[in-house]
Amino acid sequence: MSDFFPIFDFIDIFWTPWSTPQDYIWNGKIVLMGFFVSASCGMIGSFIVVRRLALMGDAISHGILPGLVLAFIVSQSKALLPMFIGACAAGMLCNFCIEWLNKKTPIKLDSAMGLTFTSFFALGIILIAQFANNAHIDAECLLYGEIGYIPLEKHIFIGDFHLGPRPLVFMGVVLISITVLIILFYKQLMVTSFDLTLSVTLGLPVKIFHYGLMLCLAFTIVSSFESVGVILVIAMIIFPSITASFFVTRMPNILFSTIPLSAFYSIGGFCFARWFDCSIASAMVVVAMLCFFVAWLVGKENGILLNFTKPKTFSKIK
Amino acid sequence: MNATKTFSLTLIFLPISQLLASTKDLDFFDRTLRFFSFNDYSVQVVVLGVIFMGIGCGLMGGLVVTRRLSLFSDTLSHAVLPGIVIGFILGGFKSSFVVIIGAMVAGFLGVTLISSITKYTKIRLDSALGLVLSGFYAMGVCFLTRIQKLEFGNQSGIDRYIFGQIAGISSTDLYTIVISGVLILAIIILFYKELLVTGFDSNFAHSIGLPVEFIQYIFWMLLAFTVITSLQIVGVILVSALLIIPAATASIITQNMKTLLLWSSLFAVVSGIIGAYLSFLGNSLPTGPIIVLCSCCIFIIILFLHWKNGLLLKWYRLRGKEKKIAVENTLKAVYQELEVQRFSKDLILISDLAKRRRVSVPEVCQEIIPLIEQELAFVKESSNPKLRGENKIALSPKGWSEACRIIRNHRLWELYLTNEVQYQADHVHDDAEKIEHILGDELVRKLEKILSNPTKDPHGKLIPSQQDIKRGYMHIQ
Amino acid sequence: MKHKSPLPLEIHDLTISYEDKPVLYGIDLKISDGVLVGIIGPNGAGKSTLIQAIMGMVKPLGGWVKIFGQKEKKAYLRVGYIPQKESVDWSFPVSVLDVVLMGRYGHAGWLRRISKKDRSIAYECLEKVNMHSFADRQIGKLSGGQQQRVFLARALAQESDLYLMDEPFAGVDAVTENATIELLRELKNKGKTLIVVHHDLSNAKEYFDEIILLNMRLIAHGPVKEVYTKELLQKTYGGRLTVFTEIADQSTKR
Repeated sequence: MSDFFPIFDFIDIFWTPWSTPQDYIWNGKIVLMGFFVSASCGMIGSFIVVRRLALMGDAISHGILPGLVLAFIVSQSKALLPMFIGACAAGMLCNFCIEWLNKKTPIKLDSAMGLTFTSFFALGIILIAQFANNAHIDAECLLYGEIGYIPLEKHIFIGDFHLGPRPLVFMGVVLISITVLIILFYKQLMVTSFDLTLSVTLGLPVKIFHYGLMLCLAFTIVSSFESVGVILVIAMIIFPSITASFFVTRMPNILFSTIPLSAFYSIGGFCFARWFDCSIASAMVVVAMLCFFVAWLVGKENGILLNFTKPKTFSKIK
Repeated sequence: MNATKTFSLTLIFLPISQLLASTKDLDFFDRTLRFFSFNDYSVQVVVLGVIFMGIGCGLMGGLVVTRRLSLFSDTLSHAVLPGIVIGFILGGFKSSFVVIIGAMVAGFLGVTLISSITKYTKIRLDSALGLVLSGFYAMGVCFLTRIQKLEFGNQSGIDRYIFGQIAGISSTDLYTIVISGVLILAIIILFYKELLVTGFDSNFAHSIGLPVEFIQYIFWMLLAFTVITSLQIVGVILVSALLIIPAATASIITQNMKTLLLWSSLFAVVSGIIGAYLSFLGNSLPTGPIIVLCSCCIFIIILFLHWKNGLLLKWYRLRGKEKKIAVENTLKAVYQELEVQRFSKDLILISDLAKRRRVSVPEVCQEIIPLIEQELAFVKESSNPKLRGENKIALSPKGWSEACRIIRNHRLWELYLTNEVQYQADHVHDDAEKIEHILGDELVRKLEKILSNPTKDPHGKLIPSQQDIKRGYMHIQ
Repeated sequence: MKHKSPLPLEIHDLTISYEDKPVLYGIDLKISDGVLVGIIGPNGAGKSTLIQAIMGMVKPLGGWVKIFGQKEKKAYLRVGYIPQKESVDWSFPVSVLDVVLMGRYGHAGWLRRISKKDRSIAYECLEKVNMHSFADRQIGKLSGGQQQRVFLARALAQESDLYLMDEPFAGVDAVTENATIELLRELKNKGKTLIVVHHDLSNAKEYFDEIILLNMRLIAHGPVKEVYTKELLQKTYGGRLTVFTEIADQSTKR
């Protein structure tokens, strides 16, 4: 038990990883990747959470596993396009099954969700087991991801300019595209999330936005699974916006807050993993959970401390 | 290969490799025989474990699904992971009792956290479930990868808690599973009424003086206990599937709680045994996922093929209804054609009928065939077996009364809509087109009474009376 | 009856069933310009469903709805809608001004940002309902009446010609109710058409020009004087058409 908690060596944790240029570049890539993943998931997640689709996100992230494995087996590589196609197909099928079961059978929504995604997930695991020997499937990578090996991936060059490892560059592109999409369609996303009837009145294609958002979610999950895996990605989707909502109440502010929060998750997770010697992705989520507890304690909206001392000015009218 | 990767591979393939190693020299039939002859000690342990786990999961699943707590149970099963790891460390990697205690504590913390988040903040239930699920699971993975790095970590046997490893259960594990299965069965039988009423309407339960909170508490403890004892067989991620899927399957078959619980545990047991068998065959199939897929297959089979509520049968019945409606519509057209001729003849030209149905002659012939088959109508003056436009058909007595009944339904309903519901006369026809096929005798009696036995519909046409139907022809005054 | 300009709202033989339960049956309705119409009926009479059907939110089994003579979705741009309180997510991260600005989205293009002009219009609308001092507050932190006024401001900002309101007076203080009805009359005098779902029989007579009595089917529609009679109200609330509902039930269960 005693060696379960290692000694807290301040210099080793906070200084050594950044002491030489070599270490600096190596670890910088890991931290940057963590930031990219968390920020992209967090931004999409802000809309997922307000649309009450958090569990749908969970279901889809479990449900894409067979798609990923099949794509892996067929293409024999971690190439992005087949992975993406496989995952989206599986995710959409999962989504379709849930909606179909909910509408056409007496099965309730929660059971439909639990039923569908566990079955998909089980199928994925069996596929891994069946084809592992001849496809060199990296099960660890699919389930938990391994952000620590990101710098080992093939590097991308544009001309002579060295961009960085493939997943890192790709995740950067994902983050930028998500940001651009959100800025472009901010109004529409807000209205369709807040008031369905008004969006119909305004002639917005509600369904297209719903499925577009789901597609973006699937895309983000697929691009993140290499670093955090299919199970923990849901944490990256929910935690940032929920934590931010303890301090700010407007959507733009929540979206902005995901950026410092993600940076903190990434750096904090890295340091925690450095100290505890565990997987970095799970350490990031643990840090995110700690942040959530702190925010719950001190947040100005519904925080425990402030609400304890300050009487409520407005009673909730229901 | 580095340590973590090797770990994860072992994690999934350990059960398989073990099975493969032990049964390499046997072929398929031998293994099947060995499994079902039930002589092997290991087979006995496995089958008994699966049976009692199935009973426990099936019963609790029935309660969980009817209370709409499916996703709650999923969160609970993920949330016990850190407890398991801590339990392992505290118990010195030997005692499964400490592991169970650890898992209980973690599960309890998780459930408390969910309820306090939804109670004290504005965060909605779905987000709260996601938060606790992923946060606790991450904590578990964090600890797990930590002890992997320690020297003693690799022989710990924690791996089997993630995807389950049926071959690895010891006789002590079996005792725990059997005890929990029996315990759950006993408690559900004893507190059946209380569990039912608190699940259905907790306010009412409170008002009749039941200790609602205490019963809920027992429910949660039982659920946590089920989840934890099943972990060794199906694993953390998939244990909720074994709760949800059999119960969902049962909910297709029946609405009755007792039968639902019965079916649900039966399905869980069956899928468990099939899964254990397939896993035993050594086709490199990990136990947990294969059991889940088995229960999923059972679900799909029941969903489509169940004799009463199956979707295929429903679809078939709908087809039958559509056929019946088509027959009735043709009969109606024949009647209307007769009516145009003021019932002076009882024969009509098929080409006239086609015109009335607004279809071509060959099409109308297709429509007439089932009428002839059911002896509702017959063709006259034709030596040619093939139907043609210039042939004439007549209604049999049975066909006549059927046609009258449909027309009567149609016109009665039209009259009801105009007189009693104040529909405008031009709206009533389309509605009556649908209603005429489903009006039962009882409702027709009611309509007759309300409309005081009318003779004419809103368009001024005669409503065939009961006497006309019996008489076999229309009596025109 | 021929009109010069198309009617704001025309409904023909509209039938709607919701989860196998028929809700509305063969509704015919014509509503002309510049009137304040109240929809009245008992619980479960399908009042909200009617509003939703007009907005195209529920798919009818039969019949059609025309808004300003159009069946296309384009016509919805001329409709302002105030939702029922229960259907709003009050913890949504938007401020009062954000909500009112949403009413202007129809006037801004697809990818264009909200202009200064839109902002000032939104602000004016907030002033009209006397809510400008709350512009930055999150919508959940308002009292029931204030919340109602925010949505009223949003409908104003939409600058629509036809307004549909689902129970705007439910759970609202007397001040807000009076202010709202004043505002509705003002809109009416500008030639707008307003359709309001209302649950309170006692003041319906004073509030509206026309009344629609609804109980699964249209019982009566006309000026208050003609429709607000004891006999018709009894028919609306009494409902003895058991055979009707029984059969309607059966017909959708198939």
